[in-house]
Amino acid sequence: MTELIKELCALCGTSGDEDAVRDFIISRLPDDVSYKTDALGNLIVEKKGKATPKNKVMLAAHMDEVGFIVNYITSDGYLRISSVGGINPETVIGRQLQFRNGTRGVIGTKAIHQQSESERDKPVKIGSMLLDIGAKSEAEALEKVLPGDCAYFTGEFLEFGSNGDMLKSKALDDRAGCAVMIEMINSDLPYDATFVFTVQEEIGTRGARAAAYTVAPDYAIVLETTTACDFSGNEGEKKVCEVGKGAVVSYMDNGTIYSRNLYRMAFERAKEKNIPCQTKTVVAGGNDSGAIHVSAGGIETVAISAPCRYLHSPACVLSKKDMKAVADLAYEMYIALAEKE
Amino acid sequence: MSTFDIKNTLIQLCGENGVSGDEWNASDLALSMLKSYTDDCTIDRFGNVIGHVGERDENKPTLLLDAHIDQIGLIVTFIDEDGFIRVSKCGGVDRRVLAAQTVTVHGSKKIKGVISVLPPHVKKDGDKVAQIDELVIDTGYSKEELSEIVSLGDRITVDNEPAVLLNNRICAPACDDRAGVVCILYALELLKGKATKYNIDVSFTGQEETGERGAKIAAFNLNPDICLEMDVSFAYTPDSEKHKCGELSGGVMIGIAPSLSKRLSNELISIAKDKDIPYSLEVMSGETGTNADAIGVAKGGAECCTLSIPLRYMHTPVEVVAPEDIEAIGRLIYEFAKEGEVSAL
Repeated sequence: MTELIKELCALCGTSGDEDAVRDFIISRLPDDVSYKTDALGNLIVEKKGKATPKNKVMLAAHMDEVGFIVNYITSDGYLRISSVGGINPETVIGRQLQFRNGTRGVIGTKAIHQQSESERDKPVKIGSMLLDIGAKSEAEALEKVLPGDCAYFTGEFLEFGSNGDMLKSKALDDRAGCAVMIEMINSDLPYDATFVFTVQEEIGTRGARAAAYTVAPDYAIVLETTTACDFSGNEGEKKVCEVGKGAVVSYMDNGTIYSRNLYRMAFERAKEKNIPCQTKTVVAGGNDSGAIHVSAGGIETVAISAPCRYLHSPACVLSKKDMKAVADLAYEMYIALAEKE
Repeated sequence: MSTFDIKNTLIQLCGENGVSGDEWNASDLALSMLKSYTDDCTIDRFGNVIGHVGERDENKPTLLLDAHIDQIGLIVTFIDEDGFIRVSKCGGVDRRVLAAQTVTVHGSKKIKGVISVLPPHVKKDGDKVAQIDELVIDTGYSKEELSEIVSLGDRITVDNEPAVLLNNRICAPACDDRAGVVCILYALELLKGKATKYNIDVSFTGQEETGERGAKIAAFNLNPDICLEMDVSFAYTPDSEKHKCGELSGGVMIGIAPSLSKRLSNELISIAKDKDIPYSLEVMSGETGTNADAIGVAKGGAECCTLSIPLRYMHTPVEVVAPEDIEAIGRLIYEFAKEGEVSAL
């Protein structure tokens, strides 16, 4: 699983620019599936199981990651960018960005020596930042980058901490969910299932909206990463959820009030199968569930997420143990929903 | 003219840790590079690399070529109950660039960590940049495990894989002031086998970022007549003010300041003109904020001038320099050492 996550995270695919991720996933599909790519770029995979399920179950994870898009190139060769998806500007300044053609750039700031006291305390907005690819002129920059090209976080994929249990990378949100689905697709399943790798989650769960209509399942399982703030300085409910404490099943976020039945069922199944499981203690964020659960006349949905620190930054951190819990609980819920009376 | 590889020498030097007061790794590497030009070199008790190059002649004045070897970074001040590391600054770290950076903790072994930050989903707009004592570093270890590896006082560097941008511009951490070290090494390469007007000493000094402390010690021991200080200075970017900056790829920035020797500045300007070495003037109104301030008044004093490397994004992990600027400075040092008319007073 870790190797697969690493390969997925190395790919660059922000909203609307997911083709490299989709091509990789297609290359990992076994022969016994059928798949199609829809008009938006969603990849819909039908996997035959040993039996026909009582209910049609759809599993979904999004392919896109947060990133940047080039708006403008200045006469002296700097690039102006906007974020694609929500990014804390403090995690952008002082690091490198990359383009899919290999071009590298840096986002710096004038030296601390030249900043006023108040400037030193004030985060720089992404709109004020300049991406420097080393070009001396607009023409030189245009040889490498065009307005509309997307830029991406960089940084080494790391396994670190106790026994190397922690993973650090860009794009763990939601290549982690994609990895769980790819592994499921490549295993023998007891029931037919539909796997949807969605696009444009980060700019408003747009891919999932169309895909859920197309698939029109009875139940949906969304595989995600979710905000963990369990580092020093945040106590009690402010931790939201905790890395190392298992899969996260939400009752509510900013996009969805989750099916109470499925929420309970997830915790029951987790308990029965000894899968570590927790919930979120803050109503925040949102994911493809928001689009899916109101699609096609209503689809009962459960979200199973890996707790992830520093989400939407170049250094997202999650635990391999939690990934196992997410994969295990996703499998159990898929069985439970396929068999549900 | 020579096979000296400015780009790769710089990238190699930037790959070694040398946070102020813990310069040993960077100093070891710089010493091994200096050994290509002299056997008479060593690292002193304070981490300064000291070398004497070429034959000594009592009648010649001594020229010191100095650059600082240390870099800014963080220092471990506390390991809390949950196994997170608390830190303080070594040098002028820009707090605004720290959130979610990947770091290396230089403990009994090197371990990785991430500087914590709230994600946009729960962060409030208008929050101020965190103070340094509000930051926690996440290493993925428990307190017990971490205490076996990390001690209070260990240094932390922010990771940034070196990158070559367009026009061969180099992005690497610690270009401030490994670029200065490269200027000196390149000058020594050019001077190989050449007669000079000076006895040439070299120092790559520690703790510049925390108050030019290594230079105070080195300059006392070396007691130069003349010193050229190779440090980085501000290259213009559109968020700064043009009149306070030089230009990247603009060549050497020759210093003029009340604390520097005017006749030395004039001599360097005249050589740069003569030899077609691209240059600009960096005029300062008092001290220079470099080791030249300390070296100028060490022991009985020395005549100093700064030859600055224009650098973008100073004190961030993505400092950028242009190899042609380093080349220009190496050439100017070479020409001055060979032909400079400034004698000892």
